[in-house]
Amino acid sequence: MAGFTELLLQGMSIVLRAENLRFLLKGVGVTLELSLEVILISFLLGVALGILRYARVPVLATMAATYVEAMRNSPMLLLILAAHFALRLTAWNSGVAGMSLYTSAVLAEVVRGGLNSIDRGQWEAARAQGFRYVQILWHVVLPQALRRMIPPIVSQFITVVKDTAYVWLIGVDELTGRAKIIMGAHAEAVIALFFTIAVVYFIVNYVLSAMARSLERRYWARSF
Amino acid sequence: MMAAVAAAILVSVLGLTACSSSSGGSSGNGKSLGQSADAIQKRGVLKAGVKIDVPKFGYKDPGTGKIDGFEVDLVRAVAKKILGDPNKIELTGVTAKTRAALLDNGELDLVAATFTITEDRKKSLNFTDSYFTDGIAIMVKKSSGLTGLKDLDKKKIGVAKSATTKARLQEKADPLGVKPEFLEFDSYPEIKAALDAGRVDAFSVDGAILYGYLDDSTQILPDRYSQEEYGIATAKPKTDLAKVVNDTLAEMKSSGELDQLKQKWGLK
Amino acid sequence: MNPLAWWRWQALFENRAIFLQGLGQTVLASALALGLALVLGAVFGVMAVSPWRLPRWLNRAYVEFTQNTPLVVQVLFLYLGLPYAGIMMPVLWVGVLGLGIYHGAYVAEVVRAGINSVHRGQLEAAYSQGFNYFGAMRHIILPQAARVVLPPLTNQALALIKNSAVLAMIAGGDLMYYTDSWSSDTLHYGPAYIVAGLLYLVLTLPLAWLTTNLEVRLGRGQRGVA
Repeated sequence: MAGFTELLLQGMSIVLRAENLRFLLKGVGVTLELSLEVILISFLLGVALGILRYARVPVLATMAATYVEAMRNSPMLLLILAAHFALRLTAWNSGVAGMSLYTSAVLAEVVRGGLNSIDRGQWEAARAQGFRYVQILWHVVLPQALRRMIPPIVSQFITVVKDTAYVWLIGVDELTGRAKIIMGAHAEAVIALFFTIAVVYFIVNYVLSAMARSLERRYWARSF
Repeated sequence: MMAAVAAAILVSVLGLTACSSSSGGSSGNGKSLGQSADAIQKRGVLKAGVKIDVPKFGYKDPGTGKIDGFEVDLVRAVAKKILGDPNKIELTGVTAKTRAALLDNGELDLVAATFTITEDRKKSLNFTDSYFTDGIAIMVKKSSGLTGLKDLDKKKIGVAKSATTKARLQEKADPLGVKPEFLEFDSYPEIKAALDAGRVDAFSVDGAILYGYLDDSTQILPDRYSQEEYGIATAKPKTDLAKVVNDTLAEMKSSGELDQLKQKWGLK
Repeated sequence: MNPLAWWRWQALFENRAIFLQGLGQTVLASALALGLALVLGAVFGVMAVSPWRLPRWLNRAYVEFTQNTPLVVQVLFLYLGLPYAGIMMPVLWVGVLGLGIYHGAYVAEVVRAGINSVHRGQLEAAYSQGFNYFGAMRHIILPQAARVVLPPLTNQALALIKNSAVLAMIAGGDLMYYTDSWSSDTLHYGPAYIVAGLLYLVLTLPLAWLTTNLEVRLGRGQRGVA
């Protein structure tokens, strides 16, 4: 145990140098940028896929279902590597693509669940008012469903932030990748580096999950 | 004294080549270096893949965020040749795994990243002539008492994925009746960390790369198990670009600039 | 240079033993890790609803820290860090420990939700029948909670199998590791990733189907994700 503590403290004096901290902080920016891009693309795709399945559009619904099941049941790491080495996308794009393939499938299920949670009676009521299918979906059902989807989407966002820790593998220098670069010159700081980035990820995600919880409380209160 | 004279001569030679190459290769003089070079001139920047975690060859300095090293200087020389300005470069960090893919999809013009020239690789990429010769070496902990490949029977050797190391070492180990276990990692820092932690008994890659990781508790064994020639790689169809890059290297070799650079980075 | 050329598939078929060996390691690591996750999850889940503050606090610390940091960072930390604490365990056990701890936190949340779904009045009723806290938990609350937690638990098992690919980062000899290693040696990326993907789906799809089925039968909502 002595070796461990000693190494941690010794490594910390390297990690906490201003230049190394600044370098890692920029990595947090890259991590967040990548996560945002993934969650936005996945959300748009997820809404489209979720609606296709909810509305039971012939053929397209089956295709959407196949996509969703195949993607959300595969390891994200595999999708990222396949995007890079098999599809030959650039490093950044394969990170975005691999993660979005997976995340959009998960969000499609969130969207479908959200839509299903809206009382079918509302359809009857709106139809009685003379609204058409698309109008009801767009103006009545979707807005209510989206509100209920916010907490699971935020929690998926946290998952995305965590999973960006895989993309250094293909050469994106996000937080974990930058920790590895510092490791290149200071192998002795390895324990301190992993400890530090774990704390940084924790802070970022804890803030996000605290936001999710407060949203959940607010909307939970409103929907009853 | 001799060294100082030699250095002075090298510096003056370097100065001359710098002048001559800037007048001969600048983009404005109308002499085309080929279609691929034209495209780079039009873009105004040379896109190159280099290592970012290998001290001395290509390393991203956490202090400045800048990537520097011997191979980065080679890229600068090529940029000077094609664009007339050694600073018109855009560097991307690559690993042994990613470098070929990034050339194939056209994201990079060239890769200078401790890339060993092999017959197999020549089938899918163009390589310049060698600019650096190195051999696979083995790093162990001083306290381990290991002295060479013969001691590594049933020991764990950490190597990088997609590197030539595993195959070459295996060839040398077989006649000795030595059967090491190879563990493949994604980057060098992890292998060094695994060696420090005792997860592997040896860290094997090209010697010059190992020197970047040498510290008080480790040593590099004297034997070299192969001869690795590093070349700058370009995508297979761009033979015209390959020629420009190769010419640049040849000029640097004959002028002594290449040796000068090796000295600058402590690789001689 | 067709990436999906027939001879590449043949090469993969000839080397199928490598992939099967990796698959075996993936299954083994996942099964052991699931066991650990269930034990940790049950213990920490019960702690979450404890009448005492310390266990509740321990539960929060464990769940929050584990769920908010990347699995790959945790696993690398264990792999490279434990030897300095004098613990040199084989890589399989590092993987099992990392995956088990990570998913244990999710299981703990599932167990907590399950216990909370059982009406609190039942605990009081059990007390009045002479049960103490542990007896009431064991005989009254947990059996009822078990039914509620089944679908999310199968879902956790599924997520765990997918996440076991993290072993590739520490030379863990799993399916992802050999897929990566073999394909970067031979450059047959296309067939390698397709086959690996299908092998993972063989493991995960039955669990996905089971989850949906249990959800329908128990009238639950959508699945959570890890």
